[in-house]
Amino acid sequence: MNSKYDIAIVGGGIMGCATALRLAEGGMKPAIFEKGDLCQGASGVNAGTLSLQIKRVRLMEYALRGHEIWESMGDAVGFRKTGGYTLAFNGREAELLEHRQNLKREAGAPIEFVSTDDLRKSEPGIAHSVVAASYCAEDGYANSSLTGQYYRAQLKAAGIPYFERSAVDAIETDGKGFTLKIADTAVYVPRLLLAAGAWLGPLAAKLGFDLPVRARVNTVSVTERMPPLFATVIGHATGLLTMKQKPNGTVLIGGGWQGLGSPETGRGRVNAETLAPNVALACHAVPALKTARLLRSWTGFEANVPDFYPVAGAVPGVENAFMLGCVRGGFTIGPYIGQLMGDYILGRTLERPLFETGRKFEGAN
Amino acid sequence: MTSASMPKRTDADLRFRFNGTEYSARPGETLAAALLRAGVPMLSEPASDARGAFCWMGWCQECRVRHEGRWVEACRLFVHDGLEAHGRRADDAG
Amino acid sequence: MQDSWDIAVLGGGPAGGEAARAAAAYGARIVLIDEQARPGGQVWRAKDTAREDVGDSSETAAGNLHRARLEKSTVTFLSQARLWHIERAEDQWHLHLLVDGCSQRHAARSVILAPGAREFVQPFPGWTTPGVFGLAGVTALMKSQQCPPGRRSVVSGGGPLAIFAASEILRLGGEVAAVVTPNSKAEWLRCWPEFMANPSLTLRGAEMMMRLKRAGVPILWRHLVSRASGDPTLRAVQVTPCHANWTPRGGESAIEADALCVGHGLVPNSEVAVLAGLTPQYDAQQGGWIAASGPLGETELPGLYLCGDGAGLRGAAASQNQGARVGEAAAMALNGQRPGKTSHRTSAAERFGRAMTRLAIPQPGLARLTDADTIVCRCEAIPRRKLDAAIDAGATSLDALKSATRCGMGPCGGKYCLTNAARLIGEKTGKQLADIPPPVPRPPLFPLPVDAVGAGFDYDNLPIPAPAPL
Repeated sequence: MNSKYDIAIVGGGIMGCATALRLAEGGMKPAIFEKGDLCQGASGVNAGTLSLQIKRVRLMEYALRGHEIWESMGDAVGFRKTGGYTLAFNGREAELLEHRQNLKREAGAPIEFVSTDDLRKSEPGIAHSVVAASYCAEDGYANSSLTGQYYRAQLKAAGIPYFERSAVDAIETDGKGFTLKIADTAVYVPRLLLAAGAWLGPLAAKLGFDLPVRARVNTVSVTERMPPLFATVIGHATGLLTMKQKPNGTVLIGGGWQGLGSPETGRGRVNAETLAPNVALACHAVPALKTARLLRSWTGFEANVPDFYPVAGAVPGVENAFMLGCVRGGFTIGPYIGQLMGDYILGRTLERPLFETGRKFEGAN
Repeated sequence: MTSASMPKRTDADLRFRFNGTEYSARPGETLAAALLRAGVPMLSEPASDARGAFCWMGWCQECRVRHEGRWVEACRLFVHDGLEAHGRRADDAG
Repeated sequence: MQDSWDIAVLGGGPAGGEAARAAAAYGARIVLIDEQARPGGQVWRAKDTAREDVGDSSETAAGNLHRARLEKSTVTFLSQARLWHIERAEDQWHLHLLVDGCSQRHAARSVILAPGAREFVQPFPGWTTPGVFGLAGVTALMKSQQCPPGRRSVVSGGGPLAIFAASEILRLGGEVAAVVTPNSKAEWLRCWPEFMANPSLTLRGAEMMMRLKRAGVPILWRHLVSRASGDPTLRAVQVTPCHANWTPRGGESAIEADALCVGHGLVPNSEVAVLAGLTPQYDAQQGGWIAASGPLGETELPGLYLCGDGAGLRGAAASQNQGARVGEAAAMALNGQRPGKTSHRTSAAERFGRAMTRLAIPQPGLARLTDADTIVCRCEAIPRRKLDAAIDAGATSLDALKSATRCGMGPCGGKYCLTNAARLIGEKTGKQLADIPPPVPRPPLFPLPVDAVGAGFDYDNLPIPAPAPL
């Protein structure tokens, strides 16, 4: 059977798009099939934080490369390198901060500890109840809602076809290639990459592979425009607060507080019970936020496997099928791990290793 | 059923300030209506993108003004004596 | 603060008020929640301020009757309460309300949503000029504040609302420069059967027309307002004749005015129903996106009922009748009963409401008013050309368009732009509105003071989860 495409990528998020671009650079003809709109899943609704201070030690090298790529994407994705502070408000949190940030520093993140005096001088809007703080000059953010527009333009420029609102209902394999059923049409391709974020599990199952994908339901909120309150990206020692004020004055509040719902049942829902402490923690860090008005809260599904490391490589036991996704902090490393995935499929030597897809997942059920 | 009762009209008008200018209002009047009656449909400060009340139902947010350090809808803010409010400025318009 | 109810009714207008009263008659503990200080909704909005020189309008009188009836009932009225989120948990509905600067959670076994409708205005050049107001908005202003919108007003819109607003402006001592309506006289005459079947409503309409005639107010049939001008505030309104499908014919004439009241129909407030978990469908005849509900207001979600204009435009009289039926059904359902088979015949009032609604439904040619430089999203000041460019670049859904341009991301939450944005997408892609995925409302449903939710926490008691994995 002939195919118009060398590979079908199921899932048009950051990782799928970044892989497609790399593959096209390498001479392949990819096509993207996305069940909704490009980058409107986790890629487009997360808080956009690019902070090495909340990256996992083992993923630090990937995150550093990720930061470089986001910086090169620049204004088109609202990239800003503002520096970022992580705050501790009591002794227990200060210990946690020291322990965690030292390990991340050893892993290559340029994190330093700063005195509360220095913190007050550079960020007078931050609460005086801070007892310890760390700083990373590399930290900043991008505007996740611009990723769809960005990748749409990149795909068009590279001549890569993408099909939105095209959910893959079924996948059949004849041992040589794959037939994707999309509504009333069938597409035959010799290769297949599954990069569907929180929806990766059911897709892998269509290939007979059992991947224990879970989804966190992360809540993000935004305030209305405020006068300048703080200039950097602000985090909390536990990692459960991220906060940034955009150039337009709006303040984005995240931190992974959990909403309700699951990828299988459709959209996530904001839970007032977790929204309240999330917002309270933000106000605790920057007291002037109390005078703001909350405009909007929403949720995004952040996929993970039980060890919270990426799934990136070949689908075990299925020739020419690959999968990519499932990492906590996927926004930061997404563009980079997409490049690596592309290189892997192209058979190139990898700058850094991918992540074993057939590994045992502890705690999986 | 219990409900708030209609404010009684008193002879004394309420005084309030908007963008530094003094105006008067009747008891029970909202800030947006009192200003409209005074011939002031524009609620943003001069030199900003000129906007005024639009939906009169508290939804469109076009009539928001700064009151006690917060944004409030002028069409839902009842005037009290001595009230002070400011319109949107060019740097916080939008 | 937490409270627990048998039934919570959201919206104290004709539908919600009657639903609450009907349900209370079955002994249920009912709370009626409304944003205003007193029940009545927008159509029967109560006076906030008194003016001895003017009497009550027919709407105020109807509202007073409505309020008096509620006063006598066992319904608890929760005033000046705004719903910012609704969730289903533990077999109950949780309503999160802003009351007096604090967030309160109320739990109810069943919820009846009667949130009414809001204004639809097709963007046209100059519509953000101070002095340009929503037509329905101005009627609410006049009812509550007894204040005309300006010294000299132009009133524009389809259906009876423009006539009512113009008549009220005159009654309150304002001047009306002109009534501008896209309807023709013939369209009104075609409603003759509905007029004949509703003599009291027809009489009220005739009185209004007489008032306009006595004041010498010109009525420009088959005309639209095409532009508003004045810097910084409104000085003149440009009008143009239009075709039967509301396409401007071109050729403007100017009318001097310091107020313009303009509306192009109403849009059901379906956001609460969608936030609660229902899926809306677009239905132009019902005013826009609405969630499906049965004849007794029942929905696919347990204990969730819809009634009134928010469930599809029907007008005050029909909303009142429907609200009573829905309230009764909801109360009986709590006792495991169903109302007897009183097959509902469409009432004369309902037919009247539908006929009047039809006159106000925007026709396709109206979209021509929005030129490339016209601001579509008022909050973020986004002109049509920017939206068109983003759609051309591939943002062919509301979510994608929102992400690309910020259209709908401002403080109104997209209430005044997303219908128009969807139309632009439809125009470019050749899709019907019904085939474009609807907007997704996010909580809070209005800008919520941060300290209303974030206050009252002691830092040491914040339920901070375990740290993220290292």
